[in-house]
Amino acid sequence: MSTSPSSASPQVNAAYYDGQTAASRAVVLSVDGSDLVLRGASFELRWPLHEVQVSERLGSTPRLLAHAVDGHCEVSDQAGLEKLLAQTGKSLDWLERMQHSLPWALAAVVLLVVSFAAAYRYLLPWGAEVLALRMPDAVLQKMGSSTLEALDKFALKPSKLDAARQQELADEFERLQALPDTRFKYRIIFRSAPEMGANAFALPDGTIVMLDELVALTPDDNEIIAVLEHERGHVERRHAMRMVLQSSAVGLVMTWYLGDVSSLLAAAPAIIAQAKYSRDMEREADEYAERALQLNALSPCLLATILDKLEAAHLAAMKTENQPPVAGPEKHTATMDYLSSHPATQERIGLLCPAR
Amino acid sequence: MQELHGQQEHSFEFSGKGWEYFKIWIVNLVLTILTLGIYSAWAKVRRLQYFYRNTRLAGASFDYHGQPKAILKGRVIAFGLFLLYNVTLKLNPILGLAVGLVLVVVMPWLLMRSLRFKLYNSSYRGLRFGFVGKAGGAYGAFLGYPVLAVLTFYLLAPLAHQRIKRYQLDNSRFGNTAFKFNGSVKGFYLIYLSALVAMIGTVLLVVTLAMMSATGAGKEAMAAAFAAVGPVVLLIMVAAILVISSLFIAYMQNLVWGNTEVGAHRIFSHVSARRLLWIRVSNFIGIVLTLGLFTPFATIRMLRLQLESMGVAVSGDLSDFVAGQQQQASATGEETAEMFDVDISF
Repeated sequence: MSTSPSSASPQVNAAYYDGQTAASRAVVLSVDGSDLVLRGASFELRWPLHEVQVSERLGSTPRLLAHAVDGHCEVSDQAGLEKLLAQTGKSLDWLERMQHSLPWALAAVVLLVVSFAAAYRYLLPWGAEVLALRMPDAVLQKMGSSTLEALDKFALKPSKLDAARQQELADEFERLQALPDTRFKYRIIFRSAPEMGANAFALPDGTIVMLDELVALTPDDNEIIAVLEHERGHVERRHAMRMVLQSSAVGLVMTWYLGDVSSLLAAAPAIIAQAKYSRDMEREADEYAERALQLNALSPCLLATILDKLEAAHLAAMKTENQPPVAGPEKHTATMDYLSSHPATQERIGLLCPAR
Repeated sequence: MQELHGQQEHSFEFSGKGWEYFKIWIVNLVLTILTLGIYSAWAKVRRLQYFYRNTRLAGASFDYHGQPKAILKGRVIAFGLFLLYNVTLKLNPILGLAVGLVLVVVMPWLLMRSLRFKLYNSSYRGLRFGFVGKAGGAYGAFLGYPVLAVLTFYLLAPLAHQRIKRYQLDNSRFGNTAFKFNGSVKGFYLIYLSALVAMIGTVLLVVTLAMMSATGAGKEAMAAAFAAVGPVVLLIMVAAILVISSLFIAYMQNLVWGNTEVGAHRIFSHVSARRLLWIRVSNFIGIVLTLGLFTPFATIRMLRLQLESMGVAVSGDLSDFVAGQQQQASATGEETAEMFDVDISF
C-alpha cells in the first residue's frame, strides 16, 4: 500500500521517461515528506529528494527532474514546479537570476563594453609586455635569425657600402654610453633594398638592419646614430614579441566575438586595433632614443631631422612612381592617425624637438 | 499522448525567444570575459541546453548533457594547438608548417571524437544519441576525400562532401537505432553545378553590361566603361553571391536531411531559400548596426527557420526506440568520456 501524498503539496503534471525506451508516460508530481512522488496511470515511483537532480531554469524551456537510475521527468509548467520546489527549500541561485533579469542584462552590456575597452587599452599591452620580458633569449635569437634569413632571401640585397664605412658607423654606435637598463648585445648589419626605400629595422635578438638608402640620406653620422637608438628602443622594449602576442590575442578575440557572422567583419577591427599598438610602440621607441641621445649629450632634434628627411624621401619616391601621395606632411588628420601604423611624422617631430 | 500509429508527419517546433536568449547570451559573454575565457565551457552548455530544450518534436524536447569540464579541456587543447601553430609559424616558418601538417593529420581523429562527444551528450525522450564511427572512416572522410578533391582541381569536391555527410550520418545512432543516409552523389553534383553555372552566368551578365555601356571600341573606352559601371557591378556581384549561396545552403540542407532515415522513420526538410536569404541579410545588417548585440536574436531567427522547416515522418510508434549499448555501458562510458572525450568545434 502506498501512502497518498499530503493534500497540502502542490501537484504538477509531467512526462516521465524511464531511460530505457522512448515511451512517454504522463505522471503527476508531488512532494511527500522527503520523497518526490510520481503517480502514473498504473504505477507510482518515489524518489528520495536528495537523489533528484533538478535542471536549472533556462528561459521558458521545460525543466528536467532526473534520477540517477530511474530516468527523468520533463516539466513544462514552470510556475507549478517553482511552487513544488519552494516546498523542498530549493530556490534559484544567483546565476539563474542573472540570466533572467533585464537590469542584469543591461549591466552586462555596460560591463562588456568597459571590459573590452580596458583589455584593449591596458590589460593586453601590459600582459604582452610581462610575457615578452620573460621570453627566453633562445626564443628571441631564433626569431631574429629566422626573420633575417627570410628577409635576406626575399627582400634584401647585399650592401654596396664599403667595409670601412660600415665598421666606422658600427664603432660609433658601440662607443655610445648605453642607458642603464640595456640588456642586449647589438650587431649592426648593412643591406640594400631599393624597393623599400630609406629604412632601418630592428630584429628581436638585437640585430639592427641598416639600409644603404638611409645612410645615403644624410651626411651627419649623428642622425644615423639617432635612428639606431630608436631601433634599440624597439629591441629593449621587446616590441616585435609584444606585437606577435598582442595581434594574436586581438585576432583571437575578434574571431570569437564576430567569427560566426563573418571572418571579414572580424578582420577589419583587428587590423585597426593593431595599428594603434604599432603607433604606441613607435612613440615608445622615440622616447627611448630621446633619453639615450641626451645621455650622450646629443640633441633629440637629430632624430626629428632624419625623420623629416625620411618622410620627404618616401614622398619623393611615391611621386616618381607617378602615384599621388597618400597624404602630405600637413594633411594628416585625426582619422588618418587612427588608421596608420606610424604616428604622423610632424607630431613625432614636435614631441622630440619642440623648438623646431 | 504520444502513442502514434501509422504514418504521421511531425515538424520540429522551436520556442527560443530573442530577448530570453539575449539575457543568457550577454551574461555568458561577460562571465567569459571576466574569467578570461574559462567560463566559455559553461556558457556553451547553457547555450546548447537552451537551444535543445526549446526544440520539441511530437511533444517532447531534446536535451544536452555535455560536461563543462570536458568542454574546457577540449578548448584548452584547441587553444594550445592554435597558439603553438601561430607562434612557431612566426618564429620559424618551416617548423610552423610542420606543426600545421601535424594538425592536419590529427584533425580527423579530433573531429571523430568531438562528433562522438556531441551525439553521446544529446538526448530525446530520455534516450541518448550516439556515434559509432571509427578512425579509419574519419581519415577517409575528413582527409582522404578532401585531398582527392584538391588534387582533381575540385572536380571531386561534391563527392568528398557526400562522403563526409555519409560518414557523419551513417554512424549516428538514436538509442540502438541507426541513422541511414541515402543522399546520392548525383544530388551533390547537381547542387554544386547549378551554383557554378549561376556564378558564371552572373559574371557573363556583368561583362555584357559593361560592354554595352562602352561608347567606342578599343581598350581605353572599355576601361572607362568598366570604371563607370563599377559600383553597379559590385552591387550585382554581392547580390548574386548572397542569392546563390542562400540557394546552395537551403538545397544542401534539404538534400542531406531529406535523405536521412532513423530506423523506419524518415526525416524531411523543406527550407525555403527565399526566407533564408532574407534572414541572412537582415541578420547581417542588424549585427553590424548594433556592433554585435543583435547576434543572439540573429541566432534564434536562423535556428527557428532551419528547425521549423524540418521534421520526421513517423512510421509506427516513436515509443518503440530502446536504449543502445552505449546507454547500458554508461558507468564506464562516462569515465572514458571524462578521460578521452574532448569537444572541439572548428
